[in-house]
Amino acid sequence: MLLKDVVCPYCACLCDDLDVTVEGNRVTGVDNACDLGAHKFQAGNRLPGPVRPTEKGWDRVSREEAIGFTVDMLLSADRPLIYGWSTTSVEAQSLGIHIAEEIGGVVDATTSVCHGPSILAIQEVGHPGCTLGQVKNRADVVIYWGCNPIEAHPRHLSRYTMYSDGFFLENAFKERTLIVADIRPTESANVADEFVHLKRGGDYAVLSALRAIVRGKTGSIPSHVAGVSRAQLLRIGEVCKNAKYGAFFFGMGLTQTVGKYKNIRNAIELVDELNRHTKWTLTPMRGHFNVYGFNEVCTWVTGYPYAVDFSRGMAFYNPGETTAVDILARKECDACLVVASDPAAHFPRAAVEHLAEIPVVQIDPVVNATTAFCDLQIPVAVTGIDAEGTAYRMDGVPIRAKKILDLGYPADSEILREVYQQIRDRKKVREVKPV
Amino acid sequence: MRVILTAKPRKKPLIPVEAETIIPRHFRQGRDLTVWEGNRERSLRDIFDVMVERTAAAAEEVEVILRGDVSRFKRVGEYMDAGKITIEGDIGMHCGNFMTGGTIEIHGNADGWLGREMRGGRILCHGNAGHYAGSGYRGEKFGMKGGTLEILGNAGDFAAEYLAGGEVIIHGNAGDLPGVEMVNGTLTIHGNCSRPCGNMTGGTCTVLGTVRGMLPTFRKNSTLLHGSDKIPLTVFEGDIANRGKGILQVREYSYDD
Ligand code: SF4
Repeated sequence: MLLKDVVCPYCACLCDDLDVTVEGNRVTGVDNACDLGAHKFQAGNRLPGPVRPTEKGWDRVSREEAIGFTVDMLLSADRPLIYGWSTTSVEAQSLGIHIAEEIGGVVDATTSVCHGPSILAIQEVGHPGCTLGQVKNRADVVIYWGCNPIEAHPRHLSRYTMYSDGFFLENAFKERTLIVADIRPTESANVADEFVHLKRGGDYAVLSALRAIVRGKTGSIPSHVAGVSRAQLLRIGEVCKNAKYGAFFFGMGLTQTVGKYKNIRNAIELVDELNRHTKWTLTPMRGHFNVYGFNEVCTWVTGYPYAVDFSRGMAFYNPGETTAVDILARKECDACLVVASDPAAHFPRAAVEHLAEIPVVQIDPVVNATTAFCDLQIPVAVTGIDAEGTAYRMDGVPIRAKKILDLGYPADSEILREVYQQIRDRKKVREVKPV
Repeated sequence: MRVILTAKPRKKPLIPVEAETIIPRHFRQGRDLTVWEGNRERSLRDIFDVMVERTAAAAEEVEVILRGDVSRFKRVGEYMDAGKITIEGDIGMHCGNFMTGGTIEIHGNADGWLGREMRGGRILCHGNAGHYAGSGYRGEKFGMKGGTLEILGNAGDFAAEYLAGGEVIIHGNAGDLPGVEMVNGTLTIHGNCSRPCGNMTGGTCTVLGTVRGMLPTFRKNSTLLHGSDKIPLTVFEGDIANRGKGILQVREYSYDD
């Protein structure tokens, strides 16, 4: 059976034009997707049911036992941490945040290790954003700063920028100017009209210099700023000012380098400055397919986008203090529920060491590095493949992902709803409404 | 009045305790105080051995002394307005948040956000301070607005972020971006630092050591001889990326070119 307009649940481009062929509950063909997306539809590595480690290996446990264990762990902890969320639906994310509130825990998402700094900067100076459709139809100058979309978001260029004609750009490849800024040449830099080769950690200074140049204050700019010549900076300043519509995209090369959110603030203020001359917008290249969704849901529910501490019954937010890496590295939490992510593969050693010392439950479709640190793993359906759910694209557009297979796994929202209900039952909270 | 709080051993000593109730005024009032250990509210006496000597007619006459391991105790001295808190060892995050008066003396190190959004009074930290000493809360437009924050050791990154008044003195080195977004007030760093005062619009920052990665958006104005030692300083104005009129005076500097 050929399914049209399937949504790809891999990266935050959330391409919604895939053709997927399904035969007998198995994906046999994926068209229009990039390699990353196509691979996800055909990946294996799924556990048959909940498992717990024993002296000899892994034992199967029933779903009831697994949920009971999770509830016990969360209710007995003095400072439980609930982490993950970027590869599941907003429905599951909402339940996770409500669970954190019930148990007085801290809830954080992978945002804190990717675009958390972008959000901090946006909270300081706002977000001159737009949809990707605007970029596709209007942008004649595109900047990719600290990101490599050809390898990380492979269809970004073909759907929205260099290789995508738009309403006002009939021959995008010729009419758009592409600028790539990075600390090393990348595949994306190879196709750029202008490559800004920065020294590592030089982003803040280069962005400050560009802001001054756009303001016409060139006097104090030295001959080179973090490896970039004054002449190139002046040239880029002119290209940006003369754009009809400019789009600034940035990735973790900017958010996670020295200066962090101040780099993003500087980029936003450069875009603000350019808006005195012409139209410019800025969009973070969000990574996982629904990492943006967590920030949306968490903001609706708590007023804050991630890293929310409910220890005292109300929401407190302070990245650097209430973020998962900091809490784990400081050994502040005494239990951890991981949902739809793999912290053991990505966190610094000190944080992972603490995961090994405390009870950990993981709710995730596949075996990953965090499995080795778990006291229990509950396998669930993959949102967008064998479970439906809503996700947010990198520009904040919500897209409904379909269920195209039925492999018998529960959606993570089902497991989380049972956990939530049991917690409320044990706490004798009268009204239990599905969330 | 002297109140000596000696921290008892805890089953889970690394779980943070939020203890904003520990300010001199509360002890004079003789209130039953509680603190939060993770998500559990505890009586002060569950967490500390409490010894009270004499009485006080006003909060100004109260000294609270913290002994034992309080390195994970947060928000001590929050909204303090009078009296003194002496911490004999290290203290956790947010010590002296929003304080308006009185003195906090820390004999060890302080964790992040020391003196966050302070309005008055004095904090003296004999050891090092973590990141964001004398800064603002996330998204706030103003950090410290008054008072004095003196750190005898080193400070972490983003010290005095959004400084809007008062004085921050760091006798050791500061980390990256001290005085970033500074709008007013005085910041003095006796040691070295990197990239001071990005985006500043006002106030004065003096670096008596060496600046690494001097930002290219500060205009060199003049030179001066600083203090009784007549230390030669180069005076910059900036941050011109932000139409800033702040003063940054440094002894030695290098650009990241
Ligand atoms: S670009 Fe991203 S969303 Fe699109 S097909 Fe590739 S992995 Fe999937």
